[in-house]
Amino acid sequence: MRNRNATAYRFLTPYLLIFAIFWVWPIISSFIISFQATRTVPWRFAPSFNWGRLIGDPAFFNALKNTLLILVIQVPVMIALAMVMAVLLNSPLLKARGLYRFAFFAPVVVGEVAYSAVFRLMFSLDFGIVNKLLNSIGLPKIDWFSNVTPAMALIMIAVTWRWAGYNAIILLAGMQSIPEDVYEAATLDRVSKLKQFFYITLPLLKPVIVFCLVLSIIGTMQLFTEPFLITERGGPGGGTETLGLLLYRQGFRSLNFGYASAVAYTMAGLAIAITLLQLWLTREKQ
Amino acid sequence: MATVTLSNVVKRFGAFTVVHGASMDIKDGEFVVFVGPSGCGKSTLLRMVAGLEDISGGDIAIGGKLVNDVEPAERGIAMVFQSYALYPHMSVEQNLSFGLRMTGNPKADTDRRVKRAAEILRISELMERRPKKLSGGQRQRVAIGRAIVREPQVFLFDEPLSNLDAELRVQMRVEISRLHKELGATMIYVTHDQTEAMTLADRIVVLRAGHIEQIGRPLDLYDNPDNLFVAGFVGSPKMNFIKAHIVGQDARGVVVELAGQDNARIVQPLTDVTPEVGSKVIVGVRPEHFGGAGEGDTDLVVAIDVIEHLGGTSFLYARTKNGEDVVIQRDAAKVPTTSEITVSIRKSYLFDEKGLRLR
Ligand SMILES: Nc1ncnc2c1ncn2[C@@H]1O[C@H](COP(=O)(O)OP(=O)(O)O)[C@@H](O)[C@H]1O
Ligand SMILES: [Mg+2]
Repeated sequence: MRNRNATAYRFLTPYLLIFAIFWVWPIISSFIISFQATRTVPWRFAPSFNWGRLIGDPAFFNALKNTLLILVIQVPVMIALAMVMAVLLNSPLLKARGLYRFAFFAPVVVGEVAYSAVFRLMFSLDFGIVNKLLNSIGLPKIDWFSNVTPAMALIMIAVTWRWAGYNAIILLAGMQSIPEDVYEAATLDRVSKLKQFFYITLPLLKPVIVFCLVLSIIGTMQLFTEPFLITERGGPGGGTETLGLLLYRQGFRSLNFGYASAVAYTMAGLAIAITLLQLWLTREKQ
Repeated sequence: MATVTLSNVVKRFGAFTVVHGASMDIKDGEFVVFVGPSGCGKSTLLRMVAGLEDISGGDIAIGGKLVNDVEPAERGIAMVFQSYALYPHMSVEQNLSFGLRMTGNPKADTDRRVKRAAEILRISELMERRPKKLSGGQRQRVAIGRAIVREPQVFLFDEPLSNLDAELRVQMRVEISRLHKELGATMIYVTHDQTEAMTLADRIVVLRAGHIEQIGRPLDLYDNPDNLFVAGFVGSPKMNFIKAHIVGQDARGVVVELAGQDNARIVQPLTDVTPEVGSKVIVGVRPEHFGGAGEGDTDLVVAIDVIEHLGGTSFLYARTKNGEDVVIQRDAAKVPTTSEITVSIRKSYLFDEKGLRLR
């Protein structure tokens, strides 16, 4: 038995080596670096240098505020939307189900740069289709890129567009695993379709919803692509800068690896804390 | 409580007809069992009565009221599913009360009904448990309890016992019988198990491939089957079928000669039809209708392969001279010791080549 395990590990060695070098080591290394002053040569151990700065850095709190704001608004809206999409996808009235399933999933596989470029065009002040539509129904044009509130809204819209379908597919899979006869029993129990949704579908789907929430929270905590590409590096004036962007700016533009590592650990810590809180709030009560 | 009337009910799935014009009158308070092999359309028929499946043709009336276009919830029926279909996230108590709570039934009345159902089914101790923590038999009781709580006019059961082990099945069968007496409600019960049908039913509807083969009281079906299918389906072990042909007529009826057996002739009194001499027929003999040598019209010599001892009775699995399998019932005390014995046919049924009963 022990012999066979040894053989198995020998086969795993190449993978484990790569995993250790490119995953485990950076994680450990950045933890160490976060306690070092990295703008002096040589780097030296100075625990309060990065962590002390973090606590008093307005840029950090701005990024934290933006990230949490997006998290608090975008994630629930997206999951609710995904739920509506899943219900529609699951409807027996729907024709061409496969086509919709593909269409809902497609945004995830579209290249990030291409998608961001299209969003910039769609929301452009003078030629964007969105402003044209707003105009056509009598609403004023919105300058999506120069004001903080519309820019934040734009980020949330873009992220929601990209990930709502993905979550809808996961929710749909969960819905389809609920046996049909449970609904038939409820129908004979004279329970309306709407009540069936709230009293049967939602409770039975709870583990799947929690899964989607956790995935989305982790994803949004790391949000980078949209504020980087769509609102041009967190513009206007840092108004959409997220923790992910702050990390990038500190680490790879200012080459301040120690501070970037501290931000990275803060992001991970927050994601874990929020997820644990979430799991605790939705735990199965006995 | 109510009558249920089906008039020429048809069900098609696309081009595929699953139920071909079923008609029956179910009396108020009657216990009717739909029985037939798997896939014959029993569940489909039951689900049409429930309204879970649209009907493609014909009429269904419950309590004298046409319900073709009435929503399932408004038909005054309750159904027990084969898979129980309990609400997995609710306790037993919540499972029982869910429907009433959702429709705004007064709480005191809901509590009373739930309590009564729990007492009838002896599940009062389980009220706080989730279905996951119940045994199969307990889940079944909860599923039945959920139906009782509705106080329906008609109970529908779709193979409610088929997921239980043999011993529990017998026990629940008795309980369902008791329940029927206690509630006095009309019940329609679907099963593929003829023993269940025979023991539970006031009347049995035998189905095959979407056709009703015969409707009748259990013993009527047993003693007087209309066709080969019913004769073979009802009774265990099955009726024996022996090929034969008509050789003539005498004062008592037609004379039939069993194939491959020299001079093995029986006489069948027939009143309705007179089959032509030479036409092929099938003789049906129940295992218990084989007598000892000389007790009937003719004697057959059979070779015994296997003897099954069930205690009071035994079954002999044997072959006739020309190789047809027959099963013979004997009292345990009269089990033969030789490998070849002579038996007689005391009672038999005659069927034509198409399987219709000749009488
Ligand atoms: N929704 C459906 N679509 C197509 N065919 C069906 C459907 N439901 C049942 N059938 C077919 O109808 C026949 C009868 O099914 P069913 O009533 O479930 O049989 P039983 O309950 O007697 O085993 C089967 O051949 C089955 O394949
Ligand atoms: Mg069935």
